[in-house]
This record gives sequence, structure tokens and C-alpha cells, in this order.
Amino acid sequence: MEKQRSFFKKLFINILFVIISFLALLPIISLLVSSFRPSSELMRQGISLDINWAGMNLDNYEFIFTQAPEYWQWYMNSLIITGLTIVLSLFFSSMVGYALAVYDFKGRNVIFLMVIMILMIPFEILMLPLYQLFIDLNLIDTYFGIMLPLIVAPIAVFFFRQYALGLPTELMDAARIDGSTEYGIFFKIMMPLMLPSFAAMAILQGLSSWNNFLWPLLIIRSNDMFTLPVGLASLLTPYGNNYDILISGSVITILPIILLFIAFQKYFVSGLTVGGVKG
Amino acid sequence: MANQSNAQNNRVMKFLNSKKVVPYILVSPFIVTFIVLTLYPAIQAFIMSFQRILPGQTEFIGLSNYRRVLSPTFYTAFQNTTIYVILTTLILVTVPILLAALLNSKATKYSTFYRASLFIPSLASIIVAGTVFRLIFGETDTALANQVITWFGGEPIQWQYQSWSAMFLMVILSSWRWMGVNVMYYLAALQNVPPELYESADIDGASTVQKFFYVTIPHLKPIITFVTTITIINGFRMFEESYVFWEANSPGNIGLSMVGYMYDQGVQRNDMGFGAAIGVIVLIIIFIVSIIQLKFTGAFKRGDE
Amino acid sequence: MKKWFGVLTLALTLFLVGCGDGNGDNGDDAAEGDAEEIVTVGEDLEDATEINLWTFAGSHAEFFEDAAVRWNEEYPDNPIQFTAETYPFDQMHNNLTLALQSGEGAPDMADIEIARFPNFLQGDIQLEPLNDIFEPEIDNFIEERVDMYSDENGDYYGAPTHLGATMVYYNTEIMDEAGVDIESIETWDDYIEAGQQVTENTDVPMTTIPENWYGIWPFIRQAGSSFFDDDLNLIMDNDENVEILEFVSSMVSEHDIAEVTPGGHYHAEEFFGFMNDGGQASLIAPTFYMNELMNNMEDLSGKLEIRPLPEWPGSDTRSVAMGGTGTTVTNQAEDVDLTKEFLAFAKLSEEGNIELWNQLGFDPPRWDVWESEEIRADNEIYDFFHDDIFDILLDIRDDVVGVHMNQYTPDVLDEIDSNVMFNVIRQESQTPREALEQAAESIRAGMQ
Repeated sequence: MEKQRSFFKKLFINILFVIISFLALLPIISLLVSSFRPSSELMRQGISLDINWAGMNLDNYEFIFTQAPEYWQWYMNSLIITGLTIVLSLFFSSMVGYALAVYDFKGRNVIFLMVIMILMIPFEILMLPLYQLFIDLNLIDTYFGIMLPLIVAPIAVFFFRQYALGLPTELMDAARIDGSTEYGIFFKIMMPLMLPSFAAMAILQGLSSWNNFLWPLLIIRSNDMFTLPVGLASLLTPYGNNYDILISGSVITILPIILLFIAFQKYFVSGLTVGGVKG
Repeated sequence: MANQSNAQNNRVMKFLNSKKVVPYILVSPFIVTFIVLTLYPAIQAFIMSFQRILPGQTEFIGLSNYRRVLSPTFYTAFQNTTIYVILTTLILVTVPILLAALLNSKATKYSTFYRASLFIPSLASIIVAGTVFRLIFGETDTALANQVITWFGGEPIQWQYQSWSAMFLMVILSSWRWMGVNVMYYLAALQNVPPELYESADIDGASTVQKFFYVTIPHLKPIITFVTTITIINGFRMFEESYVFWEANSPGNIGLSMVGYMYDQGVQRNDMGFGAAIGVIVLIIIFIVSIIQLKFTGAFKRGDE
Repeated sequence: MKKWFGVLTLALTLFLVGCGDGNGDNGDDAAEGDAEEIVTVGEDLEDATEINLWTFAGSHAEFFEDAAVRWNEEYPDNPIQFTAETYPFDQMHNNLTLALQSGEGAPDMADIEIARFPNFLQGDIQLEPLNDIFEPEIDNFIEERVDMYSDENGDYYGAPTHLGATMVYYNTEIMDEAGVDIESIETWDDYIEAGQQVTENTDVPMTTIPENWYGIWPFIRQAGSSFFDDDLNLIMDNDENVEILEFVSSMVSEHDIAEVTPGGHYHAEEFFGFMNDGGQASLIAPTFYMNELMNNMEDLSGKLEIRPLPEWPGSDTRSVAMGGTGTTVTNQAEDVDLTKEFLAFAKLSEEGNIELWNQLGFDPPRWDVWESEEIRADNEIYDFFHDDIFDILLDIRDDVVGVHMNQYTPDVLDEIDSNVMFNVIRQESQTPREALEQAAESIRAGMQ
């Protein structure tokens, strides 16, 4: 009896998740399927259930691989910027989050408030003054200019702080007695303990950089500095008839990340979910 | 000599290593970026909100930008944004807890697959996501959403032209993209719940639901605070979710958000002073809501003390 | 620990891939990658002056690139090195605003769309007046078109791309099926009557009304009205304009001869599909729309007849110049005079105007080329439509009006796009008077 109940419970939960997973993947699957359709037909009719298998072809892909060198330049830009942003932002943000969590110091709450404040200020307000500042600093149309606002990411600082709050302070005291410096404690003892949060933040920072739109849009001046979202958005205008690149380009934009994610998902997912101290 | 400089070095090292100084060194990159990238432009924006800015002709006009803000259009934007915040917060804070708890239980087979499929939407950039959603929720009868509706005997809907469906589109887009991320946050936190607690709850004869409410939820509290804060703030900052459907102008302003209004007026219309004034008001609203929310959930206290 | 290895490797790989190509970026990679897309004309010329252009339309970029090649052939002593950058529509205008505002980062030349133009004529104007290149040729232009890009002092700032005369495109297939002779449509009353005949005898509407200002502005201007009076008082809600909007909305609600445009406007892909399939019997759109029809609605080839607008009682205006991009020279241009000369060469000269037609299919704003051999030479546009396009235009040359703009015009267009048309035509939740009054009220609040 008990066993039967639990079987049905399991079945129910699994059915539920199959449905949810399907819904979550549906837009991506439909994009994938649609990318084999003539793009103007797609824009006219929308993504549709009636799949005309005979009308499908590889034209969109052929076009993007042979006629659209600019697309690959955008791709490269996005890869570079995202890679650098992940490394730099994890380094700086973890330091700050850690300090906020484990040290008792004057101004700690003020700094935490600042973190929250940055989170709250709509970036659009700061855009114009920042833009002028970046012109003065000669950062317009540079990778660094695109990355800079993301390097100390409040959301990562916040997350690292929340995470480091759970770290065992006893370990620190023990290390101090052993003669470790405070930096040694951070880099050698605490950072390894925080590693799971690093994985999570690497993904999220990577995402926010990969998908960043408004700021690059403002600061990029030349087509060969475009990042993917900016480049793809530039194809959305009714003045260009560029839907071929838009659709296949969108697929190629997410497909590698999905493949990477699936390949590394053991690390990704467990990285996100492995507990800090236990485990 | 050598000894002396060593001693000096030591003193410097000691100073740099003292528990009083270390945290300041660790947070210094943040302080610098805060001053340069947030404080300075924020002050500039604040000053701008009292100005009328035209190329080469900038003049102070007192509060008149602020008086203009309180218009029916801003009220529409405020209303849209508030509804959006409430809906996204409700959905994106609670549903992921349930999903995470279920995924964490032993009942689910293939949970890695489920996690991955929930997470994958967040990998799509808003431009890609927006394009797909526009095509799915197209106004023609041949678009997927309308096909499904007609299948169930409903009438095709002009999704992008009605205020309820406009809100639905924005909320569903946002939920689709962020659900998986929040599930991951919760899953991470769930790993830290000591299994003994569940065991002792079992011994006390607690039901699954009771365990969920009395063991799981309390342990998730810090991360719930985190997710709630982020969701609320991102909700008030909403812009792109509307932009991908209607760009700057939605019919009847059904997709207008506060930040969208600011962008439209300040950047698109080149009325930067007015845009800045809208921005300041938005900021004040976000600030008040967040402080209340954080006070309420006790995020200022350090950990479990 | 193993899993960390994976994550770190991934991060590192990304990083290295990044660095590797970051270096290559300065070298051959970039040159190779760009060679096809971003064309720099005259890169190999010595002492060439650099000129760059921002635009939102790829075809405009190509047009100027071609002009640059011709310039360098014609003036080998004064070569230019020309680059055109294409940006998304909104972003190009916004970035230009910011760059001009902050005095840095703007290009030498920029395309500015008509509805955005007034934004750039405020404060100390950051664009260069083009009077000296315009004035020698001004009599050859349709003046109403050129005036659109001038400020209140009468200084010209933009070089027009086309005349953009609003016309009616009749789908003869549907008209024949309905038994309507399009030559008999002389007034708007005739048009409505013909529309009723169309809806009775076929299952398509006479036309569709777009939800943006294309659905009202041409009618207002044709009737001799405007959004502002001569003293720049807002009069968009006066009786005359209310009547005009009532007329437009009556086509949808009362006479039932029109619907709302699929996709909301004539540049939506949904509309392309609809129109292409013979979804409506006639289309009221400017001449530059010929280009759109040929590229996106191929099935209509040979089926369309272009005619002037039906007449309003008491006005002999037969067409309204609409839309259109003005190419400007910014005050940040490296060599203002040379840039102006190049612009004149590309768009104001006879040759330039002929190229506007040949390359872009735009009706040139210079009427003196309309009868030239080059324009009359057989081409695919005439095949798609009919041969006498320019005879029709010459016929109504003096009966074309333009639009008048001031710094608040974008507010008016904004209100129309987002509220007026939506509430009156699509939702039918407001009467024309209510909608116009509400819009006017909200604009007046912002007028200082």
C-alpha cells in the first residue's frame, strides 16, 4: 500500500517535470526547427505547428557560414568579453562579498547598503553621465569600456556575502593560530570552500555579459566591435531584410552554450548545488 | 640595515594584515568602482534632473521637470511596473522553491535533465528570447500560441495589442528566463539543510508538507531574501522585456514601464533633464520598497546571530 | 575537487580563446573578416580624407559607398576614404544624440529619419547648415520636400533621399473582380463608394489603416490642416483634425471598408505577407514604398496601379510628401567643406538623383531629372508597376505638400503612435475627439 502510494507520487512528480521541461524547452526547440524555414515566411506567419517538412532547407545556415563574416566577428567579440568579465568579476566580487561576511569593521553596513544601492539604481539613469565619463577616459569602442561596469557586480557581491555568511569562522581562528595571514586564509582556506558559489556566479556573470545589451549598444561605435546581442538587434530593422542571419544566428548564439552546458552540466549543476561546508 | 628594512617591511605587512585593515583592502576595488561608476554619475544625473539640457544650452529650471513627471503617462508606467513586480515576485520566488524541493527529493528520476532544461532558457539572450516569443505569440492564426488556443476551441488573440495579454507576455518571458536560475539558487541552499533535521522530523511523524514548511523554508530564508530582493529590484528596473516586443512605443502604452518611459523621454526624445527626473523618482520608489522589504526580512543582521 | 577542474578549465578556455583572438583582432583577422561587410572605400588611396557615415539602412550605406567610388574616380586629386556604419534604427539616432550632446564621438555624416529630425534642431544646432550646397540647385527640387529639413530660420540641414509622394496603389486584380474602374475614383467619397463595392463583391477590405502616424498625417496635410498653426500653437485637436480622424475611423467602423493593418504598420512582416497574398484592394503609401513592394511582395508584380490621392472637397492637393531620411553633416566632421561637397555630389547632383532612382528605386526629390533618359530607361521598377510613374508625378508636381515640423512634432507623432490610433482605430474605445483632446492635453503639459 505504502509502496504503491509512493510509486504514484513518483510517477506524478516525474510527469509534472516532463511537462515543465518540455514547456521550458519549447521556445528553443521551435526556434531550432524554424531556423530551417525560409526566414521571411517565418516572420510573416510566426512560429507554427504546421511544419512543412518539404519547405525546409539549410539556406539560412549556408548564408551565415558563407556570407556573413561580420556575424563571426561579433561572436568572437562576445566570447572575449564574456571570458574576461567572468574572470575579473569573480575575483573582485568574491573579495568584497567575503570581507562583508566575515569581518566586523566600521562601515560594513554602509558598504552593504552601497551594494544594494547599485542593484537598485536603474542603469539607464547613469548612462548619459557614464557615457560622457567614458569618452573622457577614452573607453568608447573598447572591450574594456564594455566590460568595466560589470566587473564589480553587485549581484555577485551580494551572493558571495550570503554564501560566505555560512562559512565556519572556527577555521579562520585555527588558521590564524597556525600563523596564516588574512589573505592566506582567504585564498587558501576560504576560497576553496566558496568554490561552489564561484561556479554559480561564473555562469551568471557569464550570462549577464553574454546577454548584455543596452550598455554595449551605447558604447560600441563600429560594426566590428559589436557583440552578439547588439549585432542581432541590428538585424531586426525593417530596413535590411536580414532575417536570414537573425534566425540562424540566434540558433548559433545559444546552441554552443547549450552544448557546453550539457557537456559540463555535471560540473555546472553540482557546482551550483554542492553545499559550501558540508559535502 | 637589512634588519631594519625587514622590520619595516614586517610592520607594513603587519599593518596590512591586521584584522582592522584587511577588510578595507578587500573592499577597496568595490569602493573605487562605486565612486566612479555609480556615485559620480548618480550625482550628475541628480543635477541634470533640475536642468533643461539642450546641446550647448543648459539651464537650471528648478523643479519643473519633477512637476511634469506626475502625468497620466507616468501613472500608467507606474501601474504597469507595479503589477509586473508583484506578478514576477510571486511567481519567481515561490514556484522555484517548490520545484527545487521536488527536484531535491528522491522522487525525481533524471533530475539533472529537468534541471538542465529549466536552466537552458536563461542562456538565451533577451534579443533571441524576444524574437522567439514574438513569433510564438504572433497575431496571425498560424502562430503557435493562437494555434493551440483555436485547437481548444478558443478565439485567436492579438497578444501584443491588449493590456492583459501584454502583461502576460512580459511576465511569461521573464518567468521563462529566470525560473531555472532561481531554482538553482534554492537547490544550492537546500544542500545545506542538515539531513538529520529531516530524520528527526520523520521520527516526530511530520508529513511531507509539514517538513517543507517547518524544516525546508526556515533554512532557505537567507536565499529567499536574496531572490526576493533581486526579483523586486529587477522588476522595477524592467525595460528589455517590454522593448523586445514593442521597442520604445507600445500601443496604448500597454507595455510601458517606468524605466522604459525614462529611456523614451531621456534618450529617445533627448529630454535628458526630464528623463533624469523620472529616473530619480524611480530610484526613490525602488529604494523605499527595498528598504521595507529588507528590514522586514532582516537582511541587515549578520547571518544567524 | 575534480568538478572544479572542469569549471575552471572551461573558464580558462574561454579566457584563452578570448586572449588569443584578441591579439589576432589587431592583425589579419579583422582585415579578413571585415573585407566583405564593412567596406572602406579608398583605403589604399594616399592623402585621402576620412569620411564616415552612420545610417540605419544597409541600402543607404551601399548607395554612399558607390558614390564614394565615383567621387574618387572624378576627383583623383581630392580623394576620400569612406566608411559607412549601419546601426539599428533607434540606436543610431540615440547614439547620435548623445554624441552630439557631449561634443565627441559623432560621425562626419549621419542619416536622420524625418520624425527624429526636429530633435536635432534644438539648442545650439550641432549640424552644419547646407545652404551653400543647396542654394544653387534649389529651384530644381520639390521645395516642400527640402523644407522639411530646415529650421525656423530657413537654414537647410538635411539632404533628402526621395520625394516620397503619398499615392494610392490599387490592386487591379481585386478592383477588376469588384468591378471598380479606378479612373473613376476622384474624390474620397468615390473612394469609399468603390470600397463598398469591393467589400460587397470580394472578401477583402478596400484598405487597411496603420496604427502609426501614416494613418492620419497624410490625410491631415492633404486637407490643408496641420498639427500646429503658424504661431506654433498646438491645434491637433481642432474641429478640422477631428473631422479628418473621424473620416479615417469611419472607413473602419462605419463604412466597414477597412481594417487595422496586420502587424500594426506597413513595414511589418505580417503585413508584407498579407498584402502579397492580395489581402487588400488598395494601399495608401508614399512612393518610396515601391521599393518595399518589389523586395517583399513579389507576387504583386504587374498587378498594381499607382494613382494620386483622391481629392478632398475644397483642396486640390493630390499628394503629400511623407517619411524620408535627411543626410546631415555634423559639426564634428573632420573636414566640413569636403564632407558637404561629397554629400552634394552623392545626393543633390543630377547624377546623384538619378542614382537614387536606379539603385534604390526612390523617386528623386529633383524634378528636373524626371524626364531624363536615365530615369526613363527601362528597368525592373517599370516592369513591376507601369511606365508612366513619372508622368503621373510631373502632373501633380505643384499639388504636392510636405509636412512642417517643430520641436514638439515628435511628441505629437509619439502620442498618435501609442495612443490615438490604437484607441480610436483598433480598440474603438475613444471617439476621435476624445483621443485627440487627450493627446493634445498631454503634449501641452510638456510644452514650455
